[in-house]
Amino acid sequence: MKGPLTLISHSARRVRTLVLVMGLVLASFQIVLNLVAASIHRSNMFDQIGALLPGFLQQMTSFVAIMSFAGVVCAGYFHPAVMGCLVGLMIALATETASEVETGFIDLVLARPVARHWLVTRSIVLLAAATLLLLGAMLLGTLTGVRWLAPEGATGPTPRLLASLAANLGALVLSWGALALAVGVISRRRAVAGSIMGVAAFCAFLLDYLARLWKPLGSIAWISPFRYYSPMELIMGQPLPTRHLWVLGGVTLSGFVIAYVLCARRDV
Amino acid sequence: MDPAAIRIDGITKRFGRINAVKDLDLEVKPGEILGFLGLNGSGKTTTIRILLDLLRPTAGRAFLLGHDCQREGIRVRSRIGYLPGAMGMYGDMTGEALLGLLARLQGRPVDPERRRSLQETLGLSTADLSRRVREYSGGMKRKLGLIQAFQSDPELLILDEPTEGLDPLMQESFHAILAQARGRGATVFMSSHVLSEVERICDRIALLREGRLALCDSVERVLRLAPRRVRVSFGSDVEPPSAAPPPGARWTGIGPRAWSLEVEGPLGPVIASLSGLPILDIEVHEPRLDDVIRGYYLGVRS
Repeated sequence: MKGPLTLISHSARRVRTLVLVMGLVLASFQIVLNLVAASIHRSNMFDQIGALLPGFLQQMTSFVAIMSFAGVVCAGYFHPAVMGCLVGLMIALATETASEVETGFIDLVLARPVARHWLVTRSIVLLAAATLLLLGAMLLGTLTGVRWLAPEGATGPTPRLLASLAANLGALVLSWGALALAVGVISRRRAVAGSIMGVAAFCAFLLDYLARLWKPLGSIAWISPFRYYSPMELIMGQPLPTRHLWVLGGVTLSGFVIAYVLCARRDV
Repeated sequence: MDPAAIRIDGITKRFGRINAVKDLDLEVKPGEILGFLGLNGSGKTTTIRILLDLLRPTAGRAFLLGHDCQREGIRVRSRIGYLPGAMGMYGDMTGEALLGLLARLQGRPVDPERRRSLQETLGLSTADLSRRVREYSGGMKRKLGLIQAFQSDPELLILDEPTEGLDPLMQESFHAILAQARGRGATVFMSSHVLSEVERICDRIALLREGRLALCDSVERVLRLAPRRVRVSFGSDVEPPSAAPPPGARWTGIGPRAWSLEVEGPLGPVIASLSGLPILDIEVHEPRLDDVIRGYYLGVRS
């Protein structure tokens, strides 16, 4: 048991700076959004901005939902940059095995009493820990901002809404981590695995985005994990769809299982 | 309990249409040093990686210290020291941190005295170990690789071209470390291209050619496969020999003042056949491993 724990702590030590810096950036971003939302609220601009919008946008209930103090604060949970950072980090963490194969370090590790499945378990532990840490940092940033920066009369997001957003976002990024892990354990180069997953994530995001604007694409948009993250509906007060969590959980579990199987069978 | 330290039973490894190793059978006895030879691409590293379960054989099985290296590899790998041909290391780690990490992964305590002794023998100071690996030269990385392989005093050492990149003095140091390991009863399985080194330190050699075992015997017996070269100098001009050379001998050069021969077997009949000639000197060159192995490499011998 000592060997696997050594492996996990070694990998955690290698990525801790990256994860901590990203946590700090994401938490800061939530605070900045609070500042922006407070500024708009104080100058009574939410109504004015809403009135300036074209009619079709005003009719979109989801757009109305975001034009509030709580809506702007919650934007930090579905902003493309935030989602890109989180998914990117998951891909980076999940492709560590590919990097070890590429450098040859894996030879030194597996020549010792370390079972192959520990490479996968190590990555799963890191993915889960990083997800919790980053979402925790984001929640902390949001709550701190709401607590100290919310102007008089502004209503911040409820803890339930924040928890739902964080849970759904966490499930989404973890599913990307699992998919990247499955690709990472069979790759010989980290850049290849990372590029494949990066392009896949971008295409999936684009597919989901376009499908929300153009209904016919909905017939194939179900293949995109982003389809199962619905922040607008949550902001509008709908409950967190358990189906979404089941689908994302299923993708995550499948990714992990595939990673275990492929890692056990591959030639290093 | 399997008496062999390494036993390879009919290992075959295919990469697509390429047959890297073909039906390889090999046994390494406990306490012996076996030199694993072959040209580049002959299957040496593939075999080593199969032993460590880094590669999965297409057919056959291999056993290390009596355990199936694939099914029970975990149980045995704490007793093995491995030096890969190309050391993959994190450049931002210090040598000390890397050795510590690998020792913890090994799961066996490392005697600090032993590590210090290895450092001293290989000329890698504590100050060197406190530097980041990216600052190391190729030779220093090799020394670090040797320390990590030997530091936990393993029963079985699997070394892939251990002296590559080491200067002649460090090669001597490596031989000294190997002699110590042998003194403690360790078994060594090492691949090498340095035939003089193999001749000097190995008990047996196994030679792979195009994935097949072409030769496996003791160094002593392999050396006997090559003829001795004999040069006979005369004090005055002599006529060319009129009779055929004695059995086991072959003329390679005939001049008025010197004859050259290759002799397999005892020299007595050759010397007897030279009686009556004005012999000034007889030089006998013992065969070198290179002479035999080159023949196998070139496919002249089989």
